[in-house]
Amino acid sequence: MGRHVGIVGVGQTHHSRRRTDVSQAGLVREAVDRALADAKLTIEDIDSVVVASGPVLFAAVNQPEKWVVDAIGAALKPLVRVTSGGGTGLAGALAGYYQVAGGFADRVLVVAYDKLSEGALQYSISTLYDPFWGREFAVGIMGFSAAYWRARMDVLGHTEEAAAMVAVKNRHNAMNNPYAHVKKEVTVEDVMNSKPLAWPIKLLDVPPISDGAAAVVLSTEKLAAQSTDRPAWIHGMGYFCEADNAAARSLLVSEPLAIAARRVYRTAGITNPRRQFDVVEVQEPYTCFELSYYESLGLCAPGEAAELIRSGATSLSGDIPVNPSGGCAGANPIGAAGLIRLIEAAAQVMGKAAGNQIPNAKLALAQSGGGWANLRGVAVLGA
Amino acid sequence: MLPKPDTFPIDMAPLKSDLSMPYTLTPGRAAGAFLAELGQRRIVGSRFKKSGNVVVPAQDFCPLSGDSEFEFVEAPATGTLTTFTETAEGLIGLIRIDGSDVDFPHRLVDTSLDDLRIGMRVEAVWADGIDNSILAIAGFRSSPNAPVGMIRPLTDPAQAVEVIPYRLDLHYEHAFGPYYGRLFDEIKTQRRIMGVRTPDGEGALLPPREICDVTHRPTGTWVEVKQTGTVRAMSIINLEFVGQKQAPPYIYAEIMLDGALTRLIHTVSGFDMSRAKELVKPGTRVRAVWRETQTGSLDDISHFELIDADAK
Repeated sequence: MGRHVGIVGVGQTHHSRRRTDVSQAGLVREAVDRALADAKLTIEDIDSVVVASGPVLFAAVNQPEKWVVDAIGAALKPLVRVTSGGGTGLAGALAGYYQVAGGFADRVLVVAYDKLSEGALQYSISTLYDPFWGREFAVGIMGFSAAYWRARMDVLGHTEEAAAMVAVKNRHNAMNNPYAHVKKEVTVEDVMNSKPLAWPIKLLDVPPISDGAAAVVLSTEKLAAQSTDRPAWIHGMGYFCEADNAAARSLLVSEPLAIAARRVYRTAGITNPRRQFDVVEVQEPYTCFELSYYESLGLCAPGEAAELIRSGATSLSGDIPVNPSGGCAGANPIGAAGLIRLIEAAAQVMGKAAGNQIPNAKLALAQSGGGWANLRGVAVLGA
Repeated sequence: MLPKPDTFPIDMAPLKSDLSMPYTLTPGRAAGAFLAELGQRRIVGSRFKKSGNVVVPAQDFCPLSGDSEFEFVEAPATGTLTTFTETAEGLIGLIRIDGSDVDFPHRLVDTSLDDLRIGMRVEAVWADGIDNSILAIAGFRSSPNAPVGMIRPLTDPAQAVEVIPYRLDLHYEHAFGPYYGRLFDEIKTQRRIMGVRTPDGEGALLPPREICDVTHRPTGTWVEVKQTGTVRAMSIINLEFVGQKQAPPYIYAEIMLDGALTRLIHTVSGFDMSRAKELVKPGTRVRAVWRETQTGSLDDISHFELIDADAK
């Protein structure tokens, strides 16, 4: 283990279906300004910058980090771009974490964004399929995700009703999130009756398509006090993969997420995640994934996710609240989504969640992932 | 010494893949105003408050200082040539508009490579019939006697352009390599689906590959898999989207062919789609139905049909 690393400043844009007032660069600047202000710093105080954004086909600008440099004020600083599909935001944070933990930098700015209003989303996501093997049938990852949810229904009991409860919970929580742009309460019946898009996935199982950016400042222990007396300390962070089309891949319980969780829990001293965590933020591109993650993260045993959501344990007043921010249901700028989950988890342990603060939250779990379910990661944050 | 490679290049036509992606780009405040004002035949820059830097064409953020607070200014249509090159598309130069602190690239027109000199005076030539595009300026031409223009405050700015339609047409040629090459050659000429055995010889990997994903050992010999299989996962697609290859509703299915250990992605059809939920489930048995055409792709299989005749 290297040096201790804390999150000392966070910021996100107001997310929207389409931000016509800013270019990609303007979107990035808005999040950066807010994170630096939150950390009581200027760009002069930053040693190194990580830019994280999704596939370039989303918004047609190749190597966008060269463009957004001016917007960040990062000229003549170390800068890398990190990209990993839906897990881009967490992968970017991980790159920054390594730099501080390893002693390369004392303070790193990580900014993640996507401007999804600019391109044809499902078309561009479909290009993650092998052009020889199945791309002609790809429906972004929605068709794939729905297909394996259907498989989990039979084996693990992840019913449509259970997923609908995830939609109800997250959309309720998003009502109090000032950055969310989808604010409408729904009922289980609303979700069940909403238009099937890739059955079992229905319209209200699906998050919005969003423009948005998020940024964090990571700092050494020594410098953290200049920004806040209450950083969110990173107790562990990891991002794992599994083979794309291997014989052993069942896709019932997320194997890379289970491995990532096991590894990070060990370094963070987590032996009973359900008891120990005060709050959890997961990146649920569709409601069915939140059910799957309950199991892969060890919040319940495989096959018990439907009962966990039904019991209310993951609601705001439950013993293990999941997505008090509303998760992706409130806003889903894909490349930023993983970093937004980390920010929401950090804000909880810093005691300054903008929306639903969980009282006395001391230990938080954030999850994110990309690819077609084969790249998954977690971070454990403590007060 | 590194070992000699035991592979060799093969001469085989690649798989052509064409993407045509529509976009609606957002220029942002400054570039949006610049593009709008080109319609008025005015060139707009931004003057940054803290540093006083002038950036033409207008930008939201100063590339020199990172400042974000600025006012719009009207720049002259004259400047100097910073550098130039000749391309297949014509002459290109970096232009520094009078009063600007940065350069920008544009075409050089009505001139030849031999006549170009670094530092020479140039002026904008406006294009007919183009308004809200950088190409509203056809290019810059030599103008030895052009007086040095002044940066002035911008009066009555036009409504900024908020959205720019755009399209990327991408033409790829993917190499098959020896494994996909044989697979699709057999599909085309023999209507056989070939996998390779895992290193321990139990079952086949599909698509065939050189190295086993799990053990990372070289795979074994080629083996034909059955054209029947079991649905592992499925969904019913109703969503319509740009770039879709077939009209909904249809079934997205991941199928384990008999003898294979990995999935094949295809569609299951040949029945009343209103009964899809009850007829196609994880575990449902299916069989490949071939098309008349032989293209050497997965598209040579029209679809998978249900094996249990009673189910239809």
